[in-house]
Amino acid sequence: MAMRDYAADKESFKSFFIDFCQTDDEGHKNFKYADQLTRVAHREQVDFIVELDDLHEANEELAEAVIKNTRRYTNMVSDVVYEMLPEYKQREVVAKDALDVYIEHRIMLEARNHRIPGEMRDPRNRYPPELIRRFEVYFTDMSTSKSVPIRDVKAEHIGKLVTVRGIVTRCTDVKPLLVVATYSCSACGAETYQPVRSLQFTPPPACTADECRINKTAGQLHLQTRGSRFQKFQELKIQEHSDQVPVGHIPRQLSVYCRGETTRRAQPGDHVAITGIFLPLLNSGFRQMIQGLLSDTYLEAHSVSCINQADEGELSEALTEEELAELAEDDLYSRMAKSLAPEIYGHEDVKKALLLLLVGGVDKRPNGMKIRGNINICLMGDPGVAKSQLLNYIDRLAPRSQYTTGRGSSGVGLTAAVLKDPFTGEMMLEGGALVLADQGVCCIDEFDKMAENDRTAIHEVMEQQTISIAKAGIMTCLNARVSILAAANPAYGRYNPKRTIEQNIQLPAALLSRFDLLWLIQDKPNREKDLELAKHIAYVHQHCSQPVTETKALSMRLVRRYIALTRRYQPAVPTALSEYLVSSYVDLRREARNARDVTFTSARNLLAILRLSTALARLRLSDVVEKEDVSEAIRLVEMSKQSLQHVDENVQRGISATDRIFAVVRELAGSNKTVKVADVIERCVDKGFKPDQVDACIEEYENLNVWQVNQVRTKITFM
Amino acid sequence: MHNFCQDFETVTPELWMANEEAWKEKLLKLPNWNKIPLVNSNASHNLSDGKLVRFRGMVQDMHNTEFYFEHFEVFNTVTNETKIKTGKYTDTAHIQENERINYTENLKSGQRQTMVIISLPGYNEWAQKLEDEQNHLKHLEDQPNTSRRLEPTKLKRTYDETEESSDVMEVENEGSSKERRTKEDLNEPSNVVSREHLLNFPLPDVASKSCIVKIYDENDNLKLNDMIEVIGFLSVDPALSGEFQDKNSLEPVSETEVEIITHNPPPSLVPRLHAVFVKKLEHCNPLVKEVDQVKILNEANIAREHLLKALTELLLGDQLAAEYLICHLISSVYLRQDTITLGQFCLNISNLPTQKYPNYAKQLYDIIQQFVTKSYYLPLTVDNMNTMALLPKKDYECNRLTSGILQLSKDTHLVLDETQMQQGRLDATGVNNITALGSLIKTQKVEYDFKYYKMEFDSDISVLILSEGKSLLPSDYHVSLRPEKSSLEIFEAIIEAATYYLKEDIMTTIRTYITNLKLVKYSISEDLQFVEDDFIEMRNDSEEPVTADDLHRLLVLARLVSLSRGHDALTEECWRITKDMEKNRLSRLKNKPPTL
Repeated sequence: MAMRDYAADKESFKSFFIDFCQTDDEGHKNFKYADQLTRVAHREQVDFIVELDDLHEANEELAEAVIKNTRRYTNMVSDVVYEMLPEYKQREVVAKDALDVYIEHRIMLEARNHRIPGEMRDPRNRYPPELIRRFEVYFTDMSTSKSVPIRDVKAEHIGKLVTVRGIVTRCTDVKPLLVVATYSCSACGAETYQPVRSLQFTPPPACTADECRINKTAGQLHLQTRGSRFQKFQELKIQEHSDQVPVGHIPRQLSVYCRGETTRRAQPGDHVAITGIFLPLLNSGFRQMIQGLLSDTYLEAHSVSCINQADEGELSEALTEEELAELAEDDLYSRMAKSLAPEIYGHEDVKKALLLLLVGGVDKRPNGMKIRGNINICLMGDPGVAKSQLLNYIDRLAPRSQYTTGRGSSGVGLTAAVLKDPFTGEMMLEGGALVLADQGVCCIDEFDKMAENDRTAIHEVMEQQTISIAKAGIMTCLNARVSILAAANPAYGRYNPKRTIEQNIQLPAALLSRFDLLWLIQDKPNREKDLELAKHIAYVHQHCSQPVTETKALSMRLVRRYIALTRRYQPAVPTALSEYLVSSYVDLRREARNARDVTFTSARNLLAILRLSTALARLRLSDVVEKEDVSEAIRLVEMSKQSLQHVDENVQRGISATDRIFAVVRELAGSNKTVKVADVIERCVDKGFKPDQVDACIEEYENLNVWQVNQVRTKITFM
Repeated sequence: MHNFCQDFETVTPELWMANEEAWKEKLLKLPNWNKIPLVNSNASHNLSDGKLVRFRGMVQDMHNTEFYFEHFEVFNTVTNETKIKTGKYTDTAHIQENERINYTENLKSGQRQTMVIISLPGYNEWAQKLEDEQNHLKHLEDQPNTSRRLEPTKLKRTYDETEESSDVMEVENEGSSKERRTKEDLNEPSNVVSREHLLNFPLPDVASKSCIVKIYDENDNLKLNDMIEVIGFLSVDPALSGEFQDKNSLEPVSETEVEIITHNPPPSLVPRLHAVFVKKLEHCNPLVKEVDQVKILNEANIAREHLLKALTELLLGDQLAAEYLICHLISSVYLRQDTITLGQFCLNISNLPTQKYPNYAKQLYDIIQQFVTKSYYLPLTVDNMNTMALLPKKDYECNRLTSGILQLSKDTHLVLDETQMQQGRLDATGVNNITALGSLIKTQKVEYDFKYYKMEFDSDISVLILSEGKSLLPSDYHVSLRPEKSSLEIFEAIIEAATYYLKEDIMTTIRTYITNLKLVKYSISEDLQFVEDDFIEMRNDSEEPVTADDLHRLLVLARLVSLSRGHDALTEECWRITKDMEKNRLSRLKNKPPTL
């Protein structure tokens, strides 16, 4: 590799700082670096930040060179800036601190000394640049460059600019670090400067100024704290995110040294992205003696920024060509649905609904009214039908989610709690699961066993998507834009088709109607399905792997990123479709009226269909809802209703024949205690029941000891 | 062949480096490695610095990678000579007084991975004894200590007593925790931390050794809790101890003192090993040398008969429970995909005759301990639950993973004795511990606490719960014990008879059997019509819902039933036996057992 021409590079930097400009939206030219230089010259800004994106635009090759040898270029830019500063100085600068005054004095002194020609100062006593320069040069990495996992920061990165992400596990106090030590000689009074570049330094033994040297006085040197320059210094330890750690490994750590303006940017527990130079550190003292053969490494921070866990990492990564090709294969919708919890067999419509929940519909705000786009789903079913597994999977898949049970153990519960800070005595709000899951999914298991006060709060969340708090003098409204995925067990162990949903789940209708879809997952023996299930399980045991389905399950990562992509679209319903929507809704209503409905068909259903269809359109990455979307949405709603209804074909919906016959008998008996069986049969046949049904009813209630039948079975006596 | 061994006794890092490939080849050609001293079985004071040794253990923690100087230049200030030295396979530079390392030129950095390896947790006494017999090298003791071993003058005082007293270092059992215990005495010149803290062993009151192993080959891809055997150069220079550092030097603020001490324990206690070869171990049974599938299967039935006989007697004549216990002993996780884990076999034996024999569970464990290579007995008392650290936790102050009881290598048998539990209050730790045990049983995963987040690590621990009633922990198979009246009377005599019956050769058969069956490959034929039909039938007939999990459970049991009988494939016969076993088991649960 040929040596770079550093002098040329210096020139290019100079012209880059002068010339670089960006044109903003209004056509104003914005000389970014020239402005920065002006501010630095007037001591209004300390950090001089060079964005490699800009440099790349202007001089591609130079940017590459900077990344490869950042330390050197940092010093170079520092020199360049220092040379350019006087040109940008437009007015006198008021001294900001003692060091400013001190530097000013020295410079004046230097200028005066130079008036006497021939007197040359010892170069060593000349002011080191670190002392005079009051600015710091930082580079920011290119936006296109990927962050390197901490695990992969290796020897080849030494000296280079790298960006890493991690979680701060430890940070020291910010301490002053000596950058330039200034000494004054007790004999001759001359000042000696010593730039300190590492973490330790040894003070020079004796004065080296001409005067002392010639006189051989070897004056003692005293450290001048006021004349020395200190810099803020802080050490951070960052650790890999859990998702960057390969299975079965321990997360690795990295030391980061922050100086000057990069200190105090993060605290333990923060997620950070740090750009810096990876450098080796030679040990001294004990460590050098023992481990003379080892060198520690650290990252010298150039920029430290806290990142939001949700928008960080993989979600922002663009899809690669291969992945796009994989997605482009036909029938993405059902393929993605199948990829949800692939180990749970079947339940395709439920999975489709869950997929739509993840994608979410579009929020609408006509005239200040707020119509939520989030889809709420409630899964009901007998114990052991993989409800919790589905919830768990969604919880893991969704980029932002909270998993809780209705009997959530913390006092904060689902909504929010007001707590008193033990130190300051101030009241603070602590968000519950619903608040923490804002703009995500809140999975609530054992929904039926929820505490009464949380249940009332959830009404508001599910429609208005906010939580109002009026506790202990704090009145506020928190956002809780969540999709609720609930799972509920039937009240009496198993779902009893003879009862209504409210009775089965023991939840008020007002709450149930807020769910866009209610699914009843039942586990009933069914020869064909059982055989399929048995085959599936047998396959797993035979081949020690999941059977290869005709459509391969997409990876969780891919699904997650695709969903993130879909959420950028805001599809609208074209006017042409609204008629179709309205008519299908009217149909639904009519049907609901005719058939005895266990669920509720209300205006909320129409909204649900709208939400589902916009979610479907999003899934197609389209901005317009099409007729197919609407019909699929209606199909899902229908299917969810059916799952609740097809519970029993032989018993009439709602109330069974036996119950109705019983009602007839009661009516017949009126206030009397006895009824003749013949009368009962006559009346019932009139009402369309068969005699054997009547017999069955009489027998059943006799067994229940509701009434007694005499020996010849002609008379019924109520108990 | 003898020459080979001789070579390995004298090889030094320099010689090894000169011809790495040839040495490695030579090493692999060795019929056995018994002649290379095993640190586990030989007292470390008999081993010398810079010699090739072996260590067998489990990966307990992984530290950050170290950057070391692969080649560096040494400048002699007297002779003005320079020479190139290497820092590979060594900790210290071995430079003379008048030599200086040139840090600016001809320096090549390399990377190595530091891991903490501890002797296998829960390794049973009999196995350790056998291993010692195979690996103990008498001649090491006879050698006068004149070799290059550096006399740890300073260290001797601190750790001598314990080291001399026995080959295996006993950890003092004083109920101490492994948390850092720094002596707060200000006059104390050096910072002393407890041995438990430095050894960091998952199980309390068990003898252990640990090693810091430096791994040079990145392709080894070792995972946490893997069982490995390392061959490497020993490094026990006492100067490596972090306790004796110079206090006056201007230390950089980078690392705290505790961290340095923890990461640099005295090498007499925790030797350093520079690995030249790492082998992952499938099992750690010293009786099992090679796996011959046909032979194992042929001999399976004999061993099974012995085992069944012994266990039936011990379980007071209950053959069904004994059958389940055999299946439990030979079970291991064999499939892990997405969220499915197959093969775990958590057995809950309830209805133990604790009224009559309060220590029945412990006595049963004492026998089981004789069969399996690694096991641990954990009495589930309220006190234990509230105080014990089950889950490993990252200690950021010392920058290491503080071990917990559930950090066990694969195929360890964990016996939970719930008969010891009394009424009481569980505090937050207790609840966490119970949850941890529950999730271990259900998913075979242990959540390690990294403070800022939790990480799940796969585990393969067979859990046996002994309880009076149904256990409060979940279990895959719950067997209610039906003791026979006659056996119940003479349990003491049974124990005695069992110890008499289980002679050394029978024990060897059983021990080999249990380890071998975990290594056998098993297959299920394509045609599983009978299984499918049965499943459909079961779903139709049963009042209780029969779910997919039930079928999984049946198939896992069928696999173990077949294997235990020496079949490497599922036959209809075994399937029938399996179904009958489950039917019997379930009917027992329904009909309340007669109270004892």
